[in-house]
Amino acid sequence: MDFLKKYMYPLLAGGCILAALLFFSLNVPRNREANVIERSVLGALSPLFQPVYRISAFVEDIRDRYLLLVNTHNENIHMREEIRALNMRVLEANEALLANKRLEKLLDMKKSVKEPTIAASVIGEDVTSWFRSLIINRGSSSGIREGMAVISADGVVGQTVKVSSTISRVLLLTDHASGISATIQRSRARGVVKGKGEMSCSLEFTARGEDVKIGDTVITSGIGGVFLKGIPIGEVTMVKRGEYGIFQTVSIRPAVNLSHLEEVLIVLRGGYE
Amino acid sequence: MSKRAALLLFCTVIFSIVVQVSLLPVFIHPSFKPDLLLIIMVFMALRGSSEAGVPLAWMLGMLNDVCSGLFLGLNATTFLISFLIIKSVSDRLYAESAFLFVLTVIGVTFVNCVLRMILITMFTTSPGIVYSMLSVLFPLLLVNAFVASIVTVFPGFDEQVPST
Repeated sequence: MDFLKKYMYPLLAGGCILAALLFFSLNVPRNREANVIERSVLGALSPLFQPVYRISAFVEDIRDRYLLLVNTHNENIHMREEIRALNMRVLEANEALLANKRLEKLLDMKKSVKEPTIAASVIGEDVTSWFRSLIINRGSSSGIREGMAVISADGVVGQTVKVSSTISRVLLLTDHASGISATIQRSRARGVVKGKGEMSCSLEFTARGEDVKIGDTVITSGIGGVFLKGIPIGEVTMVKRGEYGIFQTVSIRPAVNLSHLEEVLIVLRGGYE
Repeated sequence: MSKRAALLLFCTVIFSIVVQVSLLPVFIHPSFKPDLLLIIMVFMALRGSSEAGVPLAWMLGMLNDVCSGLFLGLNATTFLISFLIIKSVSDRLYAESAFLFVLTVIGVTFVNCVLRMILITMFTTSPGIVYSMLSVLFPLLLVNAFVASIVTVFPGFDEQVPST
């Protein structure tokens, strides 16, 4: 009895472990079959498992959809950025194409001009509304001096004024201070093209009897030494002959679209210090 | 064990099984699924009595086997052995300590895994399961320790469990 009392706990523990091991070892061969205990326990718990699992699945579904939305949103942002980048590239390509066309025309003009020329880009416009001028990215370091002719692929632009070492200002033919000796291409009637501001000019000092018609092309006459002969200035838009006076009033639309000018050629001839 | 304690234990066990079977597998990676019944068993071993604890540990293991094990009685045996090992020393320990509880859970998780591997190697012809057990041992240790540490912050954890 003393032995049993002394070793009660180890004996009981050993007995329990032995019983558990026996139970386990007896169940090993039937590990693929559900016995009574398993069936009853699972049967009792299954009413609890099913609703909880459904709720869990529902919550997971919502979570997944939310995450999916987050991914879609991120993907959307990424694709928008990609589209923006691609649009930028398309715009750049279109811009390059247009620049290529403009420069091609400018090159043709350069070839037609017998004097040396230098190309320049327009980098600014006059900030005032009463003075018509542009700023180009070439100056005295490129051989430009005040009073040189500035032309573009379509015709006369103006002449250089206020030249610094790296940039120059171009007085446009539409400025009130501008005056260019001109000829009507068809009839060879002469006059002086004066700026009127507002992107238009007038042909002045043309005798009343000269043959000038709407649509006539006005070109440089070459007199004065600034502009070479035969460069287009513009087109006659209005002719007015009064009852009195010796001159007629002729309005001209410049051949060059001065508000959209980007590249110009400076004829390296003449000018003054 | 009082009726209130028994009811609380019963509800906790059922809740743990349901959570472990239906809730956690949906949201948590299988490697990081805690062994809630093992944690309950450790709590009982540290704080409960031997008389009620021995059959309860075996039953908890059986529940574990029914719900997840292939070999009925495997976890029952390992739970029982683990319970007896803890119980043999728990009287000499400060069982209300939260740190001891977390440490014991880690130790029992490891011991339980080793025991399972030994039993499987001895009694079955499924050595592949041993490799699977080893691969999830470390995550299981971490996640069990984490859950045990959460259990320690529950109100009433450091209170004495009524034995009668």
